[in-house]
Amino acid sequence: MTSLKWLKLLFLYILAFVLQTTVGDWLQIFGIGPDFVIILIVGIAIKHGPATGCFWGFLAGFTQDIYAPVEWLGAHTIAMTIVGFLVGQLEERFLTLNLPAKMAVLAIGFFVCDMIYFLLTGLEKDVVTNLFFSKTLPECAYTVIVGAVVFYLSAGKAGKKKRSV
Amino acid sequence: MFRAFRFIVDLFTQRHGIIAFVFFLLVGLLMRQAPNFVKENIVSSILGTVLYPAQMAISSLDAYRSVVAENEQLKQENARLRQETYYASEGLQELTRLHALVRFDDKWGYPIVTARVVGHNPGRFLTTMIINRGTHHGVKENMPVFSMNGLVGKVTKVSYGYARVQLLVDPNLKLSVLERRTRVVGFLESVDGHMLMAMVPTHAGVKAGDTLITSGLGGIFPKGIPVGTVSAVREADLDVMRQMYVVPFQEFSTLEEVFVMEKEPDWIIQELLDD
Repeated sequence: MTSLKWLKLLFLYILAFVLQTTVGDWLQIFGIGPDFVIILIVGIAIKHGPATGCFWGFLAGFTQDIYAPVEWLGAHTIAMTIVGFLVGQLEERFLTLNLPAKMAVLAIGFFVCDMIYFLLTGLEKDVVTNLFFSKTLPECAYTVIVGAVVFYLSAGKAGKKKRSV
Repeated sequence: MFRAFRFIVDLFTQRHGIIAFVFFLLVGLLMRQAPNFVKENIVSSILGTVLYPAQMAISSLDAYRSVVAENEQLKQENARLRQETYYASEGLQELTRLHALVRFDDKWGYPIVTARVVGHNPGRFLTTMIINRGTHHGVKENMPVFSMNGLVGKVTKVSYGYARVQLLVDPNLKLSVLERRTRVVGFLESVDGHMLMAMVPTHAGVKAGDTLITSGLGGIFPKGIPVGTVSAVREADLDVMRQMYVVPFQEFSTLEEVFVMEKEPDWIIQELLDD
């Protein structure tokens, strides 16, 4: 991967966190908002493969962990690393995913990430059940909708680039 | 030399993704298993060197943008108010605002520092936030933080110009509360970083709609700061205690300004904290 591409990914990584703490708040409906960070990790993993996916997953998870309660340090990191690696198995070099398939991958990635996170933080079963229905499920749906727009726009941009070449 | 470097880069990139995965997973697991003081050191060093300055820069840009918008708005308002009772209405607004602050100041007898929220944790569970006041402004660790609506949390980390506030929904923050009607003391905590739960003796007869305030027994928060209302009571595992869901008076995600009470923990608590 060239230095320019690394810089591009670094820019997207910063952008995702800036969006999460600004636009993410504005887009909230009844306390439910989209997760731009997971959209970024799934997008990177699909485009660049498992190694890059798990690296940026690790970095994004670690950044989220910094602000989480100290006892939970490492939970986001592990969850995001696994999601980045697993989604990276569907790398675009070998597979072509259409928009609905990418949305499905994003939804599964979101669930896997939350499930690993809940498992690692050792929350009680009834608390997890409550969080699953009150946070995970609606936020997953919202994130998939926002992710669909992001994937659609990025696919359109990539298509234009290919045509111009 | 170049070949060796190329080999290491390849190990972590295209050829052997599994090695990179195992490496990052191991680092994550090591962090997960590390003792709490090591975790605290990791978090402090990253916050101090990278994230605080970055958030400060972003916040400054945001402040600049809002100043431009505010300037435009103020010009329009100025023109309108000149034709109306400018001085009277402006003076009245200022008086109301100051009166509210003085009331807070008088009630507990501690000086108050007003602070602006400049950042919060980027995860989906809001547990901490950053304010633009630090040691330079008299803010110290373990000082209570509240808003006009009620208790927000306490200061956990302070640097020269900013501080980190631990919100009530942080699972590591547990505080002693008092139910206003029955005067019974219980404790409040968040088990999942999202919902607030209070544990109160069953015999007290606390029910939904009752109000919780700080009891002053923990030594950090003074008595009487509004905390929240009981939204539902549920059966606990122990018959002697009841668990209840609490809705805080202050919605944390919409906080823009907070007040830091310059109250240091009571001496006995301070000794325990120092230990």
